[in-house]
Amino acid sequence: MTSTALSAEGITRRGRRGETVLRVLRRPTAALAAIVVFLIVAGAIAAPLIAPYPPSKFDYSHLFASPSWSHPFGTDELGRDLVTRVLYGGRTSLEMAALATVIAMVFGSIWGFVAAFKKGWLGEVLMRIADLTLGMPVILLGLVLVAAFGSSILSLVVILGILFSPATARLARSALLAELESDYYLAATSVGAPPWRIVFEQLLPNTMPVLLARGSIVAADAIFIEASLSFLGLGVQPPKASWGTLLHVGYADLYSSYWYPLFPGLIIVIAVLALNTLGDNLQRALDPSRR
Amino acid sequence: MAIYVLRRVVTSIGLLFLSSVLIFVVLRLIPGDPTITKLGGGMTAVDPRAFQALRHQLGLDRSLTHQYLHWIGGIVRGDFGQSYFSQFPVTTLIKERAGSTLELAAAALFLGLLFAVPAAALGAIWRNRYFDAILSGFTAVGMSTPAFVNGLVLIVIFGVKLKLLPTQGYVSFENHPLESLKAVTLPAVTLAIAIAAPIMLILRSSLADVASAPYIRTAQGKGLLRYQVVLRHVLPNATIPALTMIGVIIGSLLGGSVIVEYVFARPGLGSLMVDAIYQRDYAVLQTLVLLAAGVFIISSLLIDLLYGVLDPRLRVQGREA
Repeated sequence: MTSTALSAEGITRRGRRGETVLRVLRRPTAALAAIVVFLIVAGAIAAPLIAPYPPSKFDYSHLFASPSWSHPFGTDELGRDLVTRVLYGGRTSLEMAALATVIAMVFGSIWGFVAAFKKGWLGEVLMRIADLTLGMPVILLGLVLVAAFGSSILSLVVILGILFSPATARLARSALLAELESDYYLAATSVGAPPWRIVFEQLLPNTMPVLLARGSIVAADAIFIEASLSFLGLGVQPPKASWGTLLHVGYADLYSSYWYPLFPGLIIVIAVLALNTLGDNLQRALDPSRR
Repeated sequence: MAIYVLRRVVTSIGLLFLSSVLIFVVLRLIPGDPTITKLGGGMTAVDPRAFQALRHQLGLDRSLTHQYLHWIGGIVRGDFGQSYFSQFPVTTLIKERAGSTLELAAAALFLGLLFAVPAAALGAIWRNRYFDAILSGFTAVGMSTPAFVNGLVLIVIFGVKLKLLPTQGYVSFENHPLESLKAVTLPAVTLAIAIAAPIMLILRSSLADVASAPYIRTAQGKGLLRYQVVLRHVLPNATIPALTMIGVIIGSLLGGSVIVEYVFARPGLGSLMVDAIYQRDYAVLQTLVLLAAGVFIISSLLIDLLYGVLDPRLRVQGREA
């Protein structure tokens, strides 16, 4: 088999999966989820342009104002507009989730790939560690790590990245093992292609779609857990505010002005639900056994 | 079978030991010293002699190995050590708070199962497209909604607007059973929603797997009605694979109670843990985390053993291995 035939097979496989992704978006729920994710991300990025008020504009004559036309989500304890704060809070929440997802995907993939390639004791130990942490409730592990490493934005991002690496590692391992059994891998090794070339030109592109679908779910989990930690007052600290921080601060005045924590809470649900739905649809389309 | 049981027990003890070392080491990475928090504020304000005396009293001036062995040795004897912050024995603190958390967890598990199992069974009997869509929708939304958002909505509706139920605190069941149940209702419903979603997800997929098995076709073929097939054959067999996921459910109960107790200001183990993190009281924290890991490891051990009893195929495999 020549190397052209080899890459041709790689391309068709990739092409087929690319089409799968597009076909998924033709399903109404998946398309809706994708649009919602896009809107939320766009809203956070464009916050300085579309926010109705400057983020730190205090208005002492309208403290804890209830929702109205001028302040659709109401105002906070310093009279700041909550639509504005939710938009800017989205920047913090989404930035952290995106970075944590990148860490979890890169670190988890390397972890899983090494475990798949080295089938001896190293692979075994790596997967045992993954299984051990996978069993524990994520929020408890998160609390312990926050207690140990503090709750600066940087340490929170790294903590979230670590928390979601084991699950990615397991997925990356099984995805790679499937590729290692394929004919094209056998062909590539038998024509003597160097291992790094096989990894970067064949294996990585072929496992990428599955990993990206997983990435969507990791991002959802990261938003969820960051919000939970911040809600407990152990995540993002004021004056910086993620959605969870807004909830934490708003909870203090829950009984007099319940809309304050309510709107950030609803946004969290919408963002997590959309990312989960998108990832779930992609995973189902890419993995025949789950269809 | 005996070898299978023995191997699982030994692995579990190993896991517990490993977790205890991990928890201990990770928590020693905490920057700062709990004694400083206790003596109030920054280093400069603290009398160095009082600082040293307190460190000695808490055993913090010993080597890490010594501290670890002291901690584990105490736990084996049932002594969980002393809180760095309040000077109460950790055992006392945990005993005080455990009742509230157990009540919450039991009530939530009961409500969660009460809702999820019949709903999933009804879905399998009825096989209605729209009902299935509603169940899937519930699972998706339920898994994406943090407990603090559910709790918030429930507090607003039943506490602030309707003023029907208490939204804060805990009443001991032994003293005032009725008041206690009232106080636990909203927190339990909140936690139940959080666990009903994963239960339903697992149960529905295992119901679907079992429904296509040959013996189900046989049951249908001998003329049983749809509901008879589901209740007598599908549901019992679908429960066995779903059992292995109980570990996940217990995990979400433990994790969820931290959030729910904070939302409803219930003095339980979860809120004790959050307080311990605030106060850097790692004597309390490490014991609570180890306790959570222990509950988790032991319950998955019990489930595995129960699984062996319920599914004879596993016993045979265990003997061969």
